Order: sequence, then C-alpha cells, then structure tokens
Amino acid sequence: MPSLSPTSPSVLPSAARQGRAAVLCGLAGWVPPRVVTNEELSRRLDTSDAWIRTRTGIGQRHFVEPGQATSDVAVEAGRLALRSAGTDAVDAVVVATTTPDRPCPATAPVVAARLGLDGAAAFDISAVCTGFVYGLASAAGLIAAGVAGRVLLIGADTYSSIVDPDDRTNAIIFGDGAGAVVLRAGGPEEPGAVGHFDLGSDGANEEMIMVAAGGSRQRTSPGEASREERHFSMRGKEVFRHAVTRMTASARNTLALADHKAEDVDHFVPHQANLRILRSVAENLGLPMDHCVSNVESVGNTGAASIPLALADAAARGAIRPGDNVLLTAFGGGLTWGSCFLTWPALAQPGLPHDQGEELAS
Amino acid sequence: MSTTYDQLVGIVKTLHNAPAELFAPEATFAQLDVDSLTLVEISMRIERDLGVTIADNELQEDLTLDATAQLIDSKLAQ
Repeated sequence: MPSLSPTSPSVLPSAARQGRAAVLCGLAGWVPPRVVTNEELSRRLDTSDAWIRTRTGIGQRHFVEPGQATSDVAVEAGRLALRSAGTDAVDAVVVATTTPDRPCPATAPVVAARLGLDGAAAFDISAVCTGFVYGLASAAGLIAAGVAGRVLLIGADTYSSIVDPDDRTNAIIFGDGAGAVVLRAGGPEEPGAVGHFDLGSDGANEEMIMVAAGGSRQRTSPGEASREERHFSMRGKEVFRHAVTRMTASARNTLALADHKAEDVDHFVPHQANLRILRSVAENLGLPMDHCVSNVESVGNTGAASIPLALADAAARGAIRPGDNVLLTAFGGGLTWGSCFLTWPALAQPGLPHDQGEELAS
Repeated sequence: MSTTYDQLVGIVKTLHNAPAELFAPEATFAQLDVDSLTLVEISMRIERDLGVTIADNELQEDLTLDATAQLIDSKLAQ
C-alpha cells in the first residue's frame, strides 16, 4: 500500500505536534442558480428520476451558464468565505480544481485578483475529487512554515464543462459548485485546528478516472483527439471498489493518528461521490448513517467543491456545532485519497449554498 | 449451520431491495434487478464476510444465485 500508515516514521503522533497550526475561521459554499433536475435529464437521456435516485441518491445538480468558468463560481464562494471569516486580506489563495479556466495559467491568481487580494500568493491544486483535502494539507503547511498567516482555500469545479452531456453514465452524477474556507495561524490544540492528515495516491490506476486529451500526452501525439477522449471518463465498477477500500483505510489511518476511535466522530464528511459509496464506507467504519453528512441529493458530485459545500450546508442547518469532532475523507482521480480530522470551531453561520445561488440570480 | 447459498442470499438482501418471492437458486442477478454497482457491493461483502475474493468480471448479471454460491464454495475449497 502506498499510503502512509499510522506507524510510518515520517508522520508525527499527536504528542509531537506543536507550534503553529492552521485554524479554520471562515466557511461558505456557492452553487450556480441553474438547477438541473433528474426529470430534465430524463427528457434527453435514456434515464428516469427513479433510476438516478436509486443508484446514486442524487435528485438534482446545478450547472453554470454557457461561458461561465470555474473562477466565476470560485470567486462567489471565496467572497462569502472571506465575509464569514470577517477579513478582506489573506497571504495566499489556493484553488483546488479539476476544471481550471485554462490549461495555463492556474485559476487561483485570477480569483485572487477578482477578490481584491492583490499580490497574494496564488496557485492551483490538482488532485481531482481529493483536491480539497490536499488543499487543506497544503494550506496548513504554508501556515505552519510561516509562509502565510492566513489562507483562502477554495474547492471549485465545473464538471458540466468536461462531462459529455450525452454520456448517460456521468451526466447524471456531476454538478457545478464551489466551497471555500479561510484558515489562520493558531495553535494545534485550538478548536478548528486542521490535521491530522492521511494523504495517498496510486498512479498505476490513472486511467480509471480521466480526461484523456488536452494535455501533453495527447498534444504531442499525431492525430486529432476523439470526442470521447476530450471528455471525462470513469470506470464505474472499479472506481466504486477502490473508493470504498481507500476511503475506509484513509479514515482509519487518520483516526489512529489523531488517537480517536470511530465512535468519537460526530460528523463524517466524505466526498459526495454517490450515496452508495458513502453508505458502504460509513458501514465499514461502524458509523451510523445519521453521523454521515450528505448533500449529494441536492448538488450531485461537485468534485473538489463537494466537502466544503457539504460542510457549509451542514453548518448552515446548524447540524455541525462548535466542539464536534469532524472527519473529512475524500477519494478521486489519480487515484488520490485523503482524510483530515478536526474539532469544529465557532464560526459565523454560513447561508445555505443554494439559497445564495437563488438570491444572486434574482 | 447456514449454507453458502443462505449466506449469499442474506448479503444480497442486505444490499438490495427485491420481492422475497424472487429469491430462488435459479434466479439471476438480472432477474432480481441487481445493477452492476450493487454487484460490486455484493462481491466486496462476500470478500469481507466469507473471506473469498471475487473479481468484478466473475460476478455477472446473468449469473444465478446457485451458480454464485458454487463459485464461492469452489474458492473456499482452494
């Protein structure tokens, strides 16, 4: 297993953690106003509301309008997260995304500029649906190393830009959206201090989840890319098996590092891939489903945005309260996976991500 | 002692809602309306509870419950 085990000498146990930590101090989510229901999809694809709900737990998703890019949704979530943190200045902006505005440059600098965060360090994280957890670890590193005192981390994706609308398998699963957090320098024992982390990858299975064309491999190869190669593809059955296995192991590793047991977890917040993956993982961990945070019914799989959107949704509903133990676990293309344990801090209560979508549309 | 067939039916019933009268040794997964992802869930549960590894291509929708139980038994005997 390439994943770091809790006994790996490079990972410090709880007692060895000291000094500066990254503390969660702002949270928000935003989804574009346009709702795409299962019923709408079933008008042009061979599917139905019942079929989609039974197999995925998804009832609807949100799509950007033609011409809108990932930076557009990232800016909305970022602005709301800064407001939630009560700040208008950060030292770094990190955008976790699989659907950057362009292959070059990164999306984070334009997001920073549009938020008025001139001069802030800005870069993207590319870890597909694990991007937010990788981003948290990177932001925590920037803060622990003293490179930044405050970081805006945004998970943002517009899967509607890479999924073939006629691909019945994937078109029903994915939606667009963004979720963002603000992290500040603080102490490792404060509520909201992020970490312990477990991160891992398995590149031998890179073809399980991919957009084959558009990168250097295809661009230096003769011939034009096919329509299939230009769109997102996923080998569902294999991904399901790997997702359940890796997410279960990663969650367990992180709990061991944090010196906690599954029963200490008040809220398990997994990447919102598909309700059946979440159920399987929660069951493997021995967690009752009412401890599993899910908003997949209303937004679908939103990639790197899914965990912060689920957190924002749960926090807005008052489901997650200060002092609660929260375990984040993600899995995505790469393959990549990761988990993070934290105790929930007192935050300004965010609005519901989709309510804000509607508000901005009016 | 429960047979492999009984254990298999127990696993399928936990993961999939189908009318009880459809469960019979000669019923295929397709007849029970079990989709491909549920087949993965079933094979992972067999692996966990019975200690037998089944590859995704071994558990097909046209396989009967009886044939699946025999597949598990043959692996248990190895």
